[in-house]
Amino acid sequence: MEEQLLTISQASKILGVSIDTLRRWDSSGKLVAIRKQGGVHRFYRENDLEIFSSDNVKLAHNWAKEGSEFPSAFYCSNSAVFQVRLSRLELLLMEQPGFEKLFSVIIAITGEIGNNSFDHNLGKWPDVPGIFFGYDINKKQIVLADRGLGILETLRQVRPTLKNHTEAVKVAFTEILSGRSPEKRGNGLKFVREVTTTQPIDLFFESGDAEVRIKSPGREFRLTRGQEMFRGCSAIIQF
Amino acid sequence: MLIELKKFGTTLISRQAGLEAFKAFQPAFKGIKPNENLEIDFSGVLTFSPSWGDEFLGPLFEQLGDKLVLLPSDNMSVQATLKILQEINKRSFVIREQ
Repeated sequence: MEEQLLTISQASKILGVSIDTLRRWDSSGKLVAIRKQGGVHRFYRENDLEIFSSDNVKLAHNWAKEGSEFPSAFYCSNSAVFQVRLSRLELLLMEQPGFEKLFSVIIAITGEIGNNSFDHNLGKWPDVPGIFFGYDINKKQIVLADRGLGILETLRQVRPTLKNHTEAVKVAFTEILSGRSPEKRGNGLKFVREVTTTQPIDLFFESGDAEVRIKSPGREFRLTRGQEMFRGCSAIIQF
Repeated sequence: MLIELKKFGTTLISRQAGLEAFKAFQPAFKGIKPNENLEIDFSGVLTFSPSWGDEFLGPLFEQLGDKLVLLPSDNMSVQATLKILQEINKRSFVIREQ
């Protein structure tokens, strides 16, 4: 049976991006369309769209770094949208064999990272507000990213002496911030560290050029300076 | 007085939601007697996070101290959240033994 191809208009609806974006992606090679023999119209295989949408890490990274468009299903414009989508993931995860208890801490750390983005950037988003929130239950992976101020600029409001991204990220993950001004916040990432260093949940977190890795076998908190620099925060949670 | 947290929702994760829950609870809180304990029941809660917990339990803890009594829970997010909240506040919650 011949595979049924989707039109560019159908593909645009499935991915939640404009037809112009699909044309651009085709020209740049990001998502190449199919042309029937001798034809000029662009067509897409359903499977190609699924594969394209499933690479959450790449989609999130490209958006956070370069502002590239991504399927709208992954976009949470505000914390209410995030809460609804997180509750959906919670229901899905608690039904997975082996996650009957662990699901609650996975959801709690995802909630802390996602809500951090909203709480710290409210009214201050440099360009696009909101977060990327994607998950793949089969890959056991959750990806979050924002185009916000990042940890250094946010923490400098309470710690003006912070010198660089790695120092700021270290404070965020390891020190209890008792000063409550100018706003209530600051301890969510310590909770994330506490959970990921004691439970079988891996974390890769980036802000500026600082990178945090917590993974088996040692599950120790590892902070390094990476090659790439990007403004906001991004996290990959693997369980 | 007993508060069943599940009445505020089963996924308790954001600061905004924690603050709203705290405000919603204020009228009932005014009815508590001077020497009465306020017991917090976590049963039915699926996920509990430090942001929500800080906004809701934080001010209650400041006002009530040892008269705020938490009922035990085997939920991992409840246990992990209470641990970090105690570290932040540098004080231990009173948790009723099973």
